Amino acid sequence: MHPVGTPRMPRPYVKIASLLGTALLAASMLPASGLAADKTIVTVAYSPTYVFDTNDLAAKWWASVKDQFDTQYPNAEMKLVPIEGNYDDIVNKLSLLYRSPATTPDVVQIPTPVVAQWVASNYLLPLDSYVANTDWYKDFPQVIRDEGTFDGKVYAVSSGENDSMLYYNKDMFKKAGLPVPWNPQNWDDILSAARQIHAKVPDVVPMWLMAGTTAGSVGIEMGAGNLLYGSSDPTIYDEATQKWVVDSVGLRETLGFYHSIYSEGLGAKLSDLFSPTPHTVPVTDIIPNQKVAIVLGSNFYGGQWGKVVCAPCWDKATEVEGVAPIPHVKGQAPNVATTVAGWDYAVAAVTPHPKEAFDAVNVLSNRRNSIDIANWAGFVPGSSKFANDPELIDFGPPVNELASKIIQYGRILPPLPDFEVWSKGLQQATGTMAQHPETSVDDAIGILKDYVTNQLGDDKVETK
Amino acid sequence: MNNAVVAAASESGKKVRLRKRSADHPGVDIPGMVLLLPAALLLLALFVLPVGYAFYLGFTDITLIGPTAVHFHFTGIKNVLRLGRDTLFWKSLWLTAVFLAGSVVGVTVVGMALAVLMQRSAAWLRAGVGAVSIVAWMLPPITVAVVWYAFTTTDGALSLVTPGDGDSLNHFPMLVVTLANVWATAGFSMLILSSGLRAVPSEVIEAAVMEGAPRWRIFTSVTLPIMRPTIVTNILLVTLLSLANFALIYIMTAGGSDNSTDILPVYSYQQGFVFKKLGYGALLGDVVVIIATVFAYLYVRVARQRPVRTRLADGV
Repeated sequence: MHPVGTPRMPRPYVKIASLLGTALLAASMLPASGLAADKTIVTVAYSPTYVFDTNDLAAKWWASVKDQFDTQYPNAEMKLVPIEGNYDDIVNKLSLLYRSPATTPDVVQIPTPVVAQWVASNYLLPLDSYVANTDWYKDFPQVIRDEGTFDGKVYAVSSGENDSMLYYNKDMFKKAGLPVPWNPQNWDDILSAARQIHAKVPDVVPMWLMAGTTAGSVGIEMGAGNLLYGSSDPTIYDEATQKWVVDSVGLRETLGFYHSIYSEGLGAKLSDLFSPTPHTVPVTDIIPNQKVAIVLGSNFYGGQWGKVVCAPCWDKATEVEGVAPIPHVKGQAPNVATTVAGWDYAVAAVTPHPKEAFDAVNVLSNRRNSIDIANWAGFVPGSSKFANDPELIDFGPPVNELASKIIQYGRILPPLPDFEVWSKGLQQATGTMAQHPETSVDDAIGILKDYVTNQLGDDKVETK
Repeated sequence: MNNAVVAAASESGKKVRLRKRSADHPGVDIPGMVLLLPAALLLLALFVLPVGYAFYLGFTDITLIGPTAVHFHFTGIKNVLRLGRDTLFWKSLWLTAVFLAGSVVGVTVVGMALAVLMQRSAAWLRAGVGAVSIVAWMLPPITVAVVWYAFTTTDGALSLVTPGDGDSLNHFPMLVVTLANVWATAGFSMLILSSGLRAVPSEVIEAAVMEGAPRWRIFTSVTLPIMRPTIVTNILLVTLLSLANFALIYIMTAGGSDNSTDILPVYSYQQGFVFKKLGYGALLGDVVVIIATVFAYLYVRVARQRPVRTRLADGV
């Protein structure tokens, strides 16, 4: 029975309507890019929320890159594949996408410390023949080339790097009777300055030094790793024995520095050190709000206080905040210590169109894009030519100039899967020292040793 | 005739098996099974196979990235042996027990207090407290985590009344995450226990009052024993909810500080997605599934018990 009140459609119309419906359905199932059927689609996976200083700048930069590529290569089209989340989320989601050729993006922006694992999985295409024909790769310093080179083949090229330095508040230094400009020659100089600040400027945090587990390996890259690389023995992974170093002079010097900072009350409060994103605390809060005297921090702070990024805006940044390289423990040459880590572009081994994929890398790596991403994400560009470009140097003075100058002395963290385990052990050791200031260097070494031995086994660790 | 005896002879004809058919032991119901088939297939495809595959992965060397990401191998009991030696696993198991016990006791006590308050208080208070508790239960874990993070760290509201730097979360992480879980789950417990309280027969309470029993004695010796099945159900459900509450702890502490809140789901995630050891992470996940299965089985058994009223009527 037909429901009352609903007009019945005459039979011929039903047929016509159903034919139209079928046609519409069939049309909707045609490829969305039907008009662009002849174009080669190049998929590019990127982070819209983590790499850049603000999400708006990420959207602006990637939209511009796509426009440039689509205009420059009319027979191809760039399709952007956003990967949301933080560092671990991005690595995990990309790892899952790469498990199947059907979901593998042609081009990817990945963190440099994990490139080796992608190479070991046979996921990446060697780029030697492609980079040889570019005008930018030849200007990459060796340390940055090494990040993406494995077994003599280039698998990834830098999209930008982070290194570390000491930031200091000139007003507080003057108040404490410390020299400005400040140029510490060894670790004792840093500790003496922090102690003097503690005595003369009591309301501020003398020194920010990353500790604990919440930042993951970023906390090592922007914290303890820099001290270890300035110590008497910076070895983390012993290539000769293929074992992880859990006790060494270098580690004891590093943890000794932590002991001085936290046992003497020179460090920051726990709620900042252990916050979910501690690496942003200095740049967004305690430096611009002038709550800290010395910060061992990353170069990405540099352009963040200017008018373009403005996160937060701080017009007195260059007037108030000075920078200096991190010295070695006893001032050994070259007396500049820093970790180097960044983000790379790579091309998938399974891409059906490698030429177009590298064309995309070429556009991503041109001068305009390299300088813009460096300024908007807080990077040192891979190419030394762009790293010394006035447009970059003037964007975040004096940070960008120093960052570009010291990158050549930088060292990468071991690009091995078990680095995360070693890193977690050291994060726990530093976190315990910050939380329980009575923790001795021996105890902290014990924490690192126990953690790594428990996870990897006795035969994978050594004392140097 | 109620009991039909069906005899089926084996091929050789030497053995004879007898099968009873009765109302209590029905035979194969073909149409019923056909109707159940779609649901059974869905359950098989969406639950049994993935869980079974996860168990299999727990016995492999699969990693999220690296040479064994795609070409992984069955490694027998290697991961299980590692589990036995892994001191963090045993610590994690203990922390899971502490978190579950703390949550269950806290949630049940607060839930019961709210339920009793709801029963006896004025209507406006009942409505207000009930609404707030249920809102807390309905909040997503991310909101609960952020609220409690802000409340319990330096400069948070709690720091105004606590000594030292007021950073309760980092000084007493397990206590704080357990309290956050109690806060978020008590509304759920209150709903269950309220219905249990309403099911307590008023004549039994009246009899106790007429005997001159004090209020507290009536509550502990009459109300609670009658509510026993409801309380057990509540405990089992709160245990399952808390075991699945990975997000709250992960957001608030990520297992820290110093692994002191590293309950099994968090440790499993850490192995799989931070250390990229998916095989070992899957095995840790399997342990969580086994624990959850035990509690789920107990819950099903309790849920199948006859209602209190029926048993009281039977004089049981």
